[in-house]
Amino acid sequence: MRIPCPHCGERGHEEFLYLGDAGVRRPDGMAEAKAGEPASRPWMDYVYLRPNPAGVHRELWQHVHGCRAWLVVTRDTRTHAISGAEDARTVALARDGAPA
Amino acid sequence: MAEHITFSRRGAFAGLALPGRFGQAEGPAGLTVAVRTTVAIAQVVARPGRTDEVSSAVAAAMGLTLPAPLRVSAAGPVVAAWTGPGRWLVMQDEAGSGPYPAGSFVGRVAEACRGAASVTDQTDAQGVLRLSGPRTRDVLAKGLALDLHPRAFRAGMAASTLCGMVEVTLWQTDDTPTYDVAVMRGYAGSFWHWLGESAAEYGLVVAPQDDARAGAG
Repeated sequence: MRIPCPHCGERGHEEFLYLGDAGVRRPDGMAEAKAGEPASRPWMDYVYLRPNPAGVHRELWQHVHGCRAWLVVTRDTRTHAISGAEDARTVALARDGAPA
Repeated sequence: MAEHITFSRRGAFAGLALPGRFGQAEGPAGLTVAVRTTVAIAQVVARPGRTDEVSSAVAAAMGLTLPAPLRVSAAGPVVAAWTGPGRWLVMQDEAGSGPYPAGSFVGRVAEACRGAASVTDQTDAQGVLRLSGPRTRDVLAKGLALDLHPRAFRAGMAASTLCGMVEVTLWQTDDTPTYDVAVMRGYAGSFWHWLGESAAEYGLVVAPQDDARAGAG
């Protein structure tokens, strides 16, 4: 498996560390529960609940033996075909804006 | 009873890189290794969003243009290698006529960054080897997954990657070719073992370490 690091170019997957699902978003404390839900529900969803499609996943990988950047890698779990890798910081800033 | 303890500097490859010829004894050596024991190393990591500020501050204070991704740059004897986004190794060979007095280099780099970067002294944390000789690429190819063919990797380029399953920062200094490889000192023994085994079939010459910092045997 080769991962196209946006900073270093294509490298073997042995340089990278898988760090989890990039499709979930960490809740802001206990503040996000909907009315009538337990306060811990958003954390329950974040920690335990995953859609697990046979197909395209968005995953966090770190280029730990290279440039150290965290990446969002798009990978098809049926074929291991990797269709893209983006800088995770750029993805997060585009989604959430700059930190306050 | 209190005992007086003195610490002395010991290079990362002290006791490993013994001078001499090893492996294939006939013909010219395929690989020559020199341990660069006199390099002062500062690691510069820009604080979030301040990469451009670090680059302009270092350029103004030191006359050094920090390199673009996958590149090295130099200002006289001061060399910088890119190791990641907003991260560099900045080095001065203290045996030469560097612009900064020996022992002061890392502090000068920190001053130059003016708080826009974290600067840490890596001088004793890394060992730097200089690899040259006609079979250098063949030796490296045994443990390095990078294409070092001149069409893909040339003098002035750098990479942080795995070599012999050890994390290294590698840069090419000339087209002979000559490469410098920085290895974290905890991995120096493992890397040296891999390098010696890989170079044995071509013949390996280890240059003497003549600096006091190499440490005794």
